[in-house]
Amino acid sequence: MKGLSIIETILRDRKAFFLEIREGKRLGEKMRALVISSVAFFALYGAVMGSSHSLWQAMSSAAKLPLLFLATLVVCAPTLYFFNLNFGSNQSLGQNVALMLTTITVTSVLLLSFAPVVTFFLLTTSQYQFFKLLNVGVFSISGIVGVTFLSYGMRIVSYGGDGGVAARRSVVWLWIILYAFVGSQMAWTLRPFVGAPGLPFELFRQLGGNFYANILASIGEILGFVTVR
Amino acid sequence: MSDERWERLDQLLELLTDEVVDRLRGEQENVERQPIKLQESSHGALEKPMRDEEPAPTTRAEAETPPSGAGVELPASWAPEDSAVQESSAPPTVSKTRGEGGCDPEPKPPSPPTPHTARFLGRLALGLFVLIVAINIPFNRHGTTLATAMPDRRALVIRDGLVVKEEDEPEIYIFQDGRFRWISSLKAFEMQGYAWRDVHVVADGFLEPYEIGPPIHLIVKCNESPHIYRIEGEEKRWIVDIDAFEEAGHIWADVEFVSCEYLRSLPDGQTIPPGHGPPPQP
Repeated sequence: MKGLSIIETILRDRKAFFLEIREGKRLGEKMRALVISSVAFFALYGAVMGSSHSLWQAMSSAAKLPLLFLATLVVCAPTLYFFNLNFGSNQSLGQNVALMLTTITVTSVLLLSFAPVVTFFLLTTSQYQFFKLLNVGVFSISGIVGVTFLSYGMRIVSYGGDGGVAARRSVVWLWIILYAFVGSQMAWTLRPFVGAPGLPFELFRQLGGNFYANILASIGEILGFVTVR
Repeated sequence: MSDERWERLDQLLELLTDEVVDRLRGEQENVERQPIKLQESSHGALEKPMRDEEPAPTTRAEAETPPSGAGVELPASWAPEDSAVQESSAPPTVSKTRGEGGCDPEPKPPSPPTPHTARFLGRLALGLFVLIVAINIPFNRHGTTLATAMPDRRALVIRDGLVVKEEDEPEIYIFQDGRFRWISSLKAFEMQGYAWRDVHVVADGFLEPYEIGPPIHLIVKCNESPHIYRIEGEEKRWIVDIDAFEEAGHIWADVEFVSCEYLRSLPDGQTIPPGHGPPPQP
């Protein structure tokens, strides 16, 4: 329960939280708490997603969803750090990582808050494409709220520095777009998370196609235009 | 009592009354002055006497928020202060002690967040974990769980090996090489390596748009008999000769060896081709 108090601080007193990151106060402790809580919440949400297919899929998704977010963070962290440095930021890599961890923790908390809704639809509907799109919607909303925390936190943490405030702000928003692309491709690489009903359990599915084409096809099928084969 | 004593007593009472009135007035003035002090000072020592007496009415975030442009461009006067930041997560007793020291010029720290969100989050996570376990517990011998109990009226990914059954029809079909093929017996179904959990129940008419290929039969013989039979449903059908065997599209590799007792236990169906009299028993 002590680890969860950091989430309360982020949600209720975010300014003070970001000020602490700005000052580099207890960064290690913060990052540890953020990683633990976000991994736990992602794992729970992943288990809900995979339950629509089988127990093995539930366990697999519980392991893969935290991996998806943490791997995306690892891939994208250097870009944000070096671009910020380039535009006069005086933040350390640790501060950048703490901010990004805050982003994914907020995302994980929101996903957890959606989990009862998703479970309800899991138990009461049976359309795979609908369930998949529902999850895409939930991830989009949670992700957008998460990155707004990053933008807000970055404004506080990078306040001052050697000029280039506007440029750094643009860098953050460009980085957020990059983060979304990397995240969606990472999700496609680590799929399946829900598990198609006609397919046996697979830890990873063969590469091929892409995330966006699949989503468009799913929308098409729900609307009755195409059948996903 | 003499008049002189009464007069002295009166004087003493008046003095006492004046003193009490003065003290009451002084306290009232102090009470009235304190909110003014709070408004006047956001950083100064004027606020300090308040700190020890009653909790701050606002959170730190509210107290520090500049009047305009909050969160967009931070004015220089709003620069964060180390100790204040530290205090945000420190217990209230710490800030009180520092306030009593009389050397802390910082604004009052926020009251620590009430822990009910963290508690609720913990309970939600725990409840969800229990729910996930509950909906994944199989409740029948086919391994059906609550999470997978809904019939498969959903989009299936059509690929080789997909096994489907229309809701109101008994036949089971398997998708192979771009077409659905009927599996003619349960034994053939099992011989193909499938279990009931692999079967996806689909809506009636689901198969209509698809090409239907030749059915999958189980071709069997036993060691002690030269005859070859085809299992369809619960019957065995004798294949009268090699020509009929090949004409039906079978190859020798399709033949499975079973026990003669099992073959004898099956009722006879029509011969292949039909009209060749009663079939021989294995």
